[in-house]
Amino acid sequence: MAEQITYIESTQNDPYWNLALEEYLLMHCKESECILYLWQNARTIVVGRNQNVWKECKAAELERDGGHVVRRLSGGGAVYHDLGNLNFTFVARKEEYDLDRQLEVILRAVQKLGVPAERSGRNDILADGGKISGNAYYEIDGRCYHHGTLMVDVDLNELTRYLTVSKEKLKSKGVDSVRSRVRNLSDYVPDLTVGCLKTVLKKSFEDVYGHTAQERKKADLNQEELEALHRKFCSWEWIYGRKIDFQYEMAKRFSWGQIELQLQVEGGQIEEVQAYSDALRPEIIQALPTYLEHVRYNNHAICERLSLYRSSDQESEAMMEDIRRWLGTAEL
Amino acid sequence: MEFRAELLYSKDHEWVKVEGDTVLIGITDYAQSELGDIVFVNLPEEGDEIKAGEAFADVESVKAVSDVLGPVDGTIIAVNEEILDAPELINESPYDAWFVKVEDFTGTEELLSAEEYQAFVEGA
Repeated sequence: MAEQITYIESTQNDPYWNLALEEYLLMHCKESECILYLWQNARTIVVGRNQNVWKECKAAELERDGGHVVRRLSGGGAVYHDLGNLNFTFVARKEEYDLDRQLEVILRAVQKLGVPAERSGRNDILADGGKISGNAYYEIDGRCYHHGTLMVDVDLNELTRYLTVSKEKLKSKGVDSVRSRVRNLSDYVPDLTVGCLKTVLKKSFEDVYGHTAQERKKADLNQEELEALHRKFCSWEWIYGRKIDFQYEMAKRFSWGQIELQLQVEGGQIEEVQAYSDALRPEIIQALPTYLEHVRYNNHAICERLSLYRSSDQESEAMMEDIRRWLGTAEL
Repeated sequence: MEFRAELLYSKDHEWVKVEGDTVLIGITDYAQSELGDIVFVNLPEEGDEIKAGEAFADVESVKAVSDVLGPVDGTIIAVNEEILDAPELINESPYDAWFVKVEDFTGTEELLSAEEYQAFVEGA
């Protein structure tokens, strides 16, 4: 039974800082302590630890719109966050970690607000069959966290837009997301604010654990360590470069012929290319693999590489320019 | 719960099998039963270093992601590709589903015998 309970709120909406703080709390949680950490991300897709980013969300579109893609330490599927969503994390050593109790804190809080919430399986909290909270778990060296979303008034159109991906041509290892019907708490409590939900959660945390929570502020923590974790969560290697290999097939018809590409992507980088075409100039098609291999799998990097192509033949150059334009905007 | 006499064990629930100059490393029957059905495993690459007490792999089960800590120091000379494609082998046969093969290893003196590990798990 936890003897000390600690409450901390994030003061910013940047997902990389928020995940850095979460891992920091995990590594610094004391024996017989339980921490409740509340945080929000502005327009972000959070993918599970072992998910293929390209398969689970429209990453490029989200980034073009000023959003962020981030990978968490815990498992499971992709979720969309905006400022209508509040995230909670319970952090404890294994001896104090108690999933039933932690979920009791959440359930009591939302029930008190008038939401008919109930647990469903291991990972969800539902209200009238709609998911209001999705939960995931991470453990290292006897330290555990359990975190989840709480949808207050998330923009469901945006959620659907960024998380709807149809990629029959993408064959990947990794963990697939499971589509769920979701629901906002504001369906039940129209004037609910995130601030109000935070207050209710903190109160419920204290009631369930029978202690007064000590508040901790981010400013009191070791900034250097936080910065190192922040760098990890922002890094291309962590978000895109994980070893989740996949193949992607794409095709396009141009005035000069049809082209088909098969890309083998490893650790976020194109490692093998097969190109087929009925075009009358096979030299272009033969050149493509040489240009695309060992290039990062994103529109910009591919475009930049193909712009290096030179030929004495104007028509060949024009064809490569067509291909470059296509791959510069194609959904990867 | 199975404990094999010929193996050594860490308190983080990895097993170590010494075979001459190399060791095989995997997770114990207790570890797999605590995790539940495993759906994905991430392994390091050949040539990577493994360090005692530091994460070298992670497993995702229907319950959680868990990082797996190195039980010894050494150099990884092989990884078990089979469990990448069929992670359920870890649940089915944890002592055959090795993760990595390590050479130039040190640190086995810190590990527990089967009897000691069983007492540790049953006391937990």
